[in-house]
Amino acid sequence: MGIFIKVELDDRKCKGLKECGKCVDTCPVRIFLIEKEKININSENEDECTLCNLCLEICPSEAIAVRKLYELEEKGR
Amino acid sequence: MRLYEYEAKKILGSAGIPIPKGDLVFSADQVKEILDRVKAPLVLKPQIPVGGRMKAGGIQFVDNSGEAGEKAKYLLNSSLRGYKIDRLLMEEKLEFEEEFYLAVTYDRSKKSPLIILSSQGGINVEESSDEVITVRFSLLSPFSKYKAHELVSILKLKGPLFLSLSDIICRLTKLFYDYDATLAEINPLVRTAKEAFIALDVHIDIDDDALYRHPELKDKFGIENGERRTSKVTPFEKEAARIDGQDYRGVAGRLVEFEGDLGLLIGGGGASLTVFDAVARYGGSPADYCEIGGNPSVKKLKDLTKLILSKPGVKKIAVIMNITSNSRVDLIARGIIKGVIESGYIPHEKIALFRVPGAWEKEGTKILKKYGVKYYGRDISIDQAAEKAVKILQGN
Repeated sequence: MGIFIKVELDDRKCKGLKECGKCVDTCPVRIFLIEKEKININSENEDECTLCNLCLEICPSEAIAVRKLYELEEKGR
Repeated sequence: MRLYEYEAKKILGSAGIPIPKGDLVFSADQVKEILDRVKAPLVLKPQIPVGGRMKAGGIQFVDNSGEAGEKAKYLLNSSLRGYKIDRLLMEEKLEFEEEFYLAVTYDRSKKSPLIILSSQGGINVEESSDEVITVRFSLLSPFSKYKAHELVSILKLKGPLFLSLSDIICRLTKLFYDYDATLAEINPLVRTAKEAFIALDVHIDIDDDALYRHPELKDKFGIENGERRTSKVTPFEKEAARIDGQDYRGVAGRLVEFEGDLGLLIGGGGASLTVFDAVARYGGSPADYCEIGGNPSVKKLKDLTKLILSKPGVKKIAVIMNITSNSRVDLIARGIIKGVIESGYIPHEKIALFRVPGAWEKEGTKILKKYGVKYYGRDISIDQAAEKAVKILQGN
């Protein structure tokens, strides 16, 4: 699990593999993976996120959120 | 890269150029065994990667077998021209009539390989007033025998000597080409009383940029990636190499183990050596020399940090890089901090200093700040960073 970056996928908005799956092909550090025909987050790779935002740009339903944990906690202090 | 004399001689011997009988000695105990094959009188030649050994008094002559062990022991406990002597070439001492000089090198101004030949070789060749013959040639075709004959004829040699020297010139030019050498020098090339030429001392430099084309040097002499291994790879170094090999991204694991207490993750276009030297100069004792560069994955950096922190005696780590345009500070910070945390330590207690002026500094600063680690960028030099790291480790 990432201690710096948290990537979230909103299941209610995600169109799923049959209709989309673009994030799986787009992410350069393989944060999205296919498990049992479903798109999931590979939590082991979350901290590899380069903040390129390609997933945010490619997702047609705005189902992805990338959070910088170090920033969130800083703001929350 | 300059080859040791014994390595250069092996190459010459394989190329068919006559060399004296001899063998390599790493300890005085081996001398006896070699004396069965090489008889006195002998010459003991320290193998160091610089010349001028004779003038510095490093070459020892041995008239009888009895004193060989003693002299070898003395030399193997000495230093010569700043190098600790760890190996000797023990060779038969040859009687000779004349010393010649023969070299193949590059004439950089003319962008052409060049043969240099003189009938006056030896240790004072630079001061020789004798004629020095030079001839440029093309690497597109081998240096032909007739051209060699033409060259040697200037020296007015006759018969077997004429043919023998011509042959050596052809073989040396081929060897120069085959090994991507920048210099293949025989000095002296001696003429013995038996009318034969023998290469008494040899110096070969191989173009560093071409070393990747010579994997055979690893098997022959342990030279790999332009570096010479004089000691065995430790399990610690092996593990670091495994970590670096996890994926192709960046460098994180080119490591040499030392015995100190300050773990180093250093890099940036050769700056790693500067950092290492500066740490030592300020009284620090590095636990390792470990290059990082490019953009290694967070996992590679994390695993490498964990490895260094697992080494007994390591008190703190210092991350010091030169100014780089591509290495991302935030990704390096993530990897290092994660490694420290997963090792069970508190980042600001274990990281003596973090000086990485690179890309994404703002993000990197935020991460480091969260974990209480001060960020240094262009505000301090590599030298100052090394000094600070040593002082912090020493509690000053």
